Amino acid sequence: MADAAATAGAGGSGTRSGSKQSTNPADNYHLARRRTLQVVVSSLLTEAGFESAEKASVETLTEMLQSYISEIGRSAKSYCEHTARTQPTLSDIVVTLVEMGFNVDTLPAYAKRSQRMVITAPPVTNQPVTPKALTAGQNRPHPPHIPSHFPEFPDPHTYIKTPTYREPVSDYQVLREKAASQRRDVERALTRFMAKTGETQSLFKDDVSTFPLIAARPFTIPYLTALLPSELEMQQMEETDSSEQDEQTDTENLALHISMEDSGAEKENTSVLQQNPSLSGSRNGEENIIDNPYLRPVKKPKIRRKKHGILLCCPGWS
Amino acid sequence: MPLTGVEPARMNRKKGDKGFESPRPYKLTHQVVCINNINFQRKSVVGFVELTIFPTVANLNRIKLNSKQCRIYRVRINDLEAAFIYNDPTLEVCHSESKQRNLNYFSNAYAAAVSAVDPDAGNGELCIKVPSELWKHVDELKVLKIHINFSLDQPKGGLHFVVPSVEGSMAERGAHVFSCGYQNSTRFWFPCVDSYSELCTWKLEFTVDAAMVAVSNGDLVETVYTHDMRKKTFHYMLTIPTAASNISLAIGPFEILVDPYMHEVTHFCLPQLLPLLKHTTSYLHEVFEFYEEILTCRYPYSCFKTVFIDEAYVEVAAYASMSIFSTNLLHSAMIIDETPLTRRCLAQSLAQQFFGCFISRMSWSDEWVLKGISGYIYGLWMKKTFGVNEYRHWIKEELDKIVAYELKTGGVLLHPIFGGGKEKDNPASHLHFSIKHPHTLSWEYYSMFQCKAHLVMRLIENRISMEFMLQVFNKLLSLASTASSQKFQSHMWSQMLVSTSGFLKSISNVSGKDIQPLIKQWVDQSGVVKFYGSFAFNRKRNVLELEIKQDYTSPGTQKYVGPLKVTVQELDGSFNHTLQIEENSLKHDIPCHSKSRRNKKKKIPLMNGEEVDMDLSAMDADSPLLWIRIDPDMSVLRKVEFEQADFMWQYQLRYERDVVAQQESILALEKFPTPASRLALTDILEQEQCFYRVRMSACFCLAKIANSMVSTWTGPPAMKSLFTRMFCCKSCPNIVKTNNFMSFQSYFLQKTMPVAMALLRDVHNLCPKEVLTFILDLIKYNDNRKNKFSDNYYRAEMIDALANSVTPAVSVNNEVRTLDNLNPDVRLILEEITRFLNMEKLLPSYRHTITVRLECSGAILAHHNLHLLGSSDSPASAS
Repeated sequence: MADAAATAGAGGSGTRSGSKQSTNPADNYHLARRRTLQVVVSSLLTEAGFESAEKASVETLTEMLQSYISEIGRSAKSYCEHTARTQPTLSDIVVTLVEMGFNVDTLPAYAKRSQRMVITAPPVTNQPVTPKALTAGQNRPHPPHIPSHFPEFPDPHTYIKTPTYREPVSDYQVLREKAASQRRDVERALTRFMAKTGETQSLFKDDVSTFPLIAARPFTIPYLTALLPSELEMQQMEETDSSEQDEQTDTENLALHISMEDSGAEKENTSVLQQNPSLSGSRNGEENIIDNPYLRPVKKPKIRRKKHGILLCCPGWS
Repeated sequence: MPLTGVEPARMNRKKGDKGFESPRPYKLTHQVVCINNINFQRKSVVGFVELTIFPTVANLNRIKLNSKQCRIYRVRINDLEAAFIYNDPTLEVCHSESKQRNLNYFSNAYAAAVSAVDPDAGNGELCIKVPSELWKHVDELKVLKIHINFSLDQPKGGLHFVVPSVEGSMAERGAHVFSCGYQNSTRFWFPCVDSYSELCTWKLEFTVDAAMVAVSNGDLVETVYTHDMRKKTFHYMLTIPTAASNISLAIGPFEILVDPYMHEVTHFCLPQLLPLLKHTTSYLHEVFEFYEEILTCRYPYSCFKTVFIDEAYVEVAAYASMSIFSTNLLHSAMIIDETPLTRRCLAQSLAQQFFGCFISRMSWSDEWVLKGISGYIYGLWMKKTFGVNEYRHWIKEELDKIVAYELKTGGVLLHPIFGGGKEKDNPASHLHFSIKHPHTLSWEYYSMFQCKAHLVMRLIENRISMEFMLQVFNKLLSLASTASSQKFQSHMWSQMLVSTSGFLKSISNVSGKDIQPLIKQWVDQSGVVKFYGSFAFNRKRNVLELEIKQDYTSPGTQKYVGPLKVTVQELDGSFNHTLQIEENSLKHDIPCHSKSRRNKKKKIPLMNGEEVDMDLSAMDADSPLLWIRIDPDMSVLRKVEFEQADFMWQYQLRYERDVVAQQESILALEKFPTPASRLALTDILEQEQCFYRVRMSACFCLAKIANSMVSTWTGPPAMKSLFTRMFCCKSCPNIVKTNNFMSFQSYFLQKTMPVAMALLRDVHNLCPKEVLTFILDLIKYNDNRKNKFSDNYYRAEMIDALANSVTPAVSVNNEVRTLDNLNPDVRLILEEITRFLNMEKLLPSYRHTITVRLECSGAILAHHNLHLLGSSDSPASAS
């Protein structure tokens, strides 16, 4: 019965009351510490003249001692943090004790009492190390502006990215199959979404859901969507174009291409320069006089006032 | 200019014997068109015209002009107010009191109404009385200036306004207006002499919003802001005498592109389409070069403009120094199928610049010369650009079209001569419309007319050689350009008009050949020739007995008398024979060159000099004949139905190098569903060097043959293994390769084969499951990511294939199909179609090819009593 209570008490110190057979180092540590405290309580009782004690009372006293020490530690830490330090100093402890109503002056005398018993140090049990939770990747070193005493960065996978590795699929058939079904799934999801969120038309009068059709909307300027390649296609074209050009770098074509792209006079000149720099001077002059009436500036009316007078003299209806 | 003294003298003499006699008592020399207000909101136009005319008779007191739907405010002659009457009889063709309500009556009344205002007869809707103060002036034949103020509201023709209903100013909306119309319809938007034979110089002024551009004929002289700087005026000058019917206009917020190769050429398109315009027109300079080279003549105008507009009635309209195209012709570099079509349109319009715009016609009955020449030189361009195969294929296609039309509807007469106007000698009594005027024709008739005109031009070329033909064209052009530079001798301008007799005269002058029989047969008469041919081989005499019959009694046919070429391919080679088709001779004996005993080792020489090995085991052992072709050069406008044995057709398909012959044999083989035909077609399909169109039609023929021999067919469905071998992956034959359309031949084949395969049927008249799965797989594995070109046309063909695979169900008592009794195959197809439609909404393809194709295939699905689109709109009426 007493044994059961002792184990219950030992276990009850933390939240882990459910753990029965403690094998992990943290529990061992707690048990060892508890045992040391029991030894302390027992020796104090012996000092005080008790010859024996009930297990339950020893447990209660141990509990009290433990909470007292804990309170000292907690308060001391509070005081030290209050003064912006991390490590409690002696004075923190002193203040704590004073605060708790303990007469500090009696302490040295008590420590030097004759009948005091010396307890052997508890067997060294390892300070429990928080188990490294599956290290993945290299932790980042501290950047220079963070002092080294700050805690280390967590594993990169927790806050940067989680790389996953899998054997790449190389079978062509499977790949194509995958690509096809993936695209199909995406398309289906997208169209279903559009159909769900927008208006729909249906193939069958009685069934609206089986073949949902996104409702047709009339375009105000229909030729734009019909003629201009979609962005997707443009992108695709650029991609294939660049790959094409890797295969056959035809500089002349390239130059020609540029000159066709930009009819602006300046750009054209640069392309001409690329084509044959020796002729650039003479060609430059020619390029500048592209004499197309549609490129000429619009004239101001005052130059042609007289002409306009004639135009306006006819009765103008508006 | 020392020549000018000589030239007019010569021309005057010519003019004397075959000159142009104007139907009008005056000569127009110059016209000013000024449009000073264009309102897009109200779709109205306000402006004035000023015509400078010289009376040619002393007592001219009435001047008739053409004008339709314009409101005329005021007419002044030499600044004197003139009275005028405006009457457009076509507004009310059948007067309300008429009791007769039939097409015939309407047609006659309409023809009469059109005649009453026909400018070629000197008539017009607008009749202006010359003020009496000017009579003396007129008697001295002095110049008259007619000034007409007019406006136009909500035009129903002639000018077309496109005003998209979006936010913003008119320029931001992309609103534009352009002239359009069929034949001479310029009178719809300003008063003029709307005839192709009345030429004059032009001054055109258009005041438009500052954000817009006005494109018109001739040179842009200057652009001037109005005083408030909100508008600008475009001043155009056209110094080459031009008919009013060739005047055009396009106003809109166009993007301007100066052609990088020819700076005189300017292209215009609607906002945002500039990249497409760049690509589309990048080819135009080559067409210019081609025409200028073959005609050895510079492009007659000093500039050229192309305008691409929305809502065009026709894809191409050519006017003096500018062409108006449908914006749908624009395409990017990724589009394969549209590219040749657009280039064809560009080339067509350019050909019409020379013949049609620069050179005009004297009268409506001379129209065929212009259409013929422009169509013919366009054909030459096709031959050079797309190759001889494509050209011959096109000629054959056009020939088939005109033959089918004439046999169905009756003859197309190129050069109608209108005598006394009596009903009995009406040359086109079989038609329900009068062919006297371009405006009374049916549209289809006119397109067939153009088709026939260029085919006849080709026949003339066959007769006199291409070299002479081009010389004739050059002569016409140089005469016209000399005349056009005579600024002040307007009587010379009639040299710019072409007439049938003048054209024929040039031909006989240049070539020295008499083409009168040819002209009589094809130009002065309507109808085509229908031949029936069959043959027998007389072994004893070693003679081929050919029997050629004609049907010249059915409508649309005529009797042919004259030479006919027959090509006989024998074992020893190919031999041409020219038969004389005469009145009563049906049978023709043709001596054969080879003995029927065949030398197995020998190669067989073909027409083109090539020698090939053939497997001759299929042949008739007694006859040395491999195949026979009647009129192989298509030098008669005809339909030939020729009977020869199936193996002969097969040999013709395999070994004849002419694409027309190959296509004829494919058509004939449909009637011979045998394993040998199957093999011949499959071989053609596999032959890379064979013309792609032949291979495409072989696909369809193979499908038909497979269906006819469905009970004896062995092996996988037709074309499946072929397709797998050509387009599927080596390692997994059920997956199609990722798209790569770099080789256009195989692209077209890849598009066509599934469509043809879907036509296959099993014994239950259903599409085999295997084929449907195959097509669905093609769609599933279609991957265009690595392709340089868009696959929209390919996907559209896949939809066609899906639609083809559906056998229309016989609907019982109009039973309504519901989802529950849907065939699982149809359900799969519907799923694909829904997916295609939805994806198209999100990522529209070029010209919405896929939706458009679905609309067409929708007809087939409708057989299944499915309501594909718009079912939600009319739930009550649908069932």
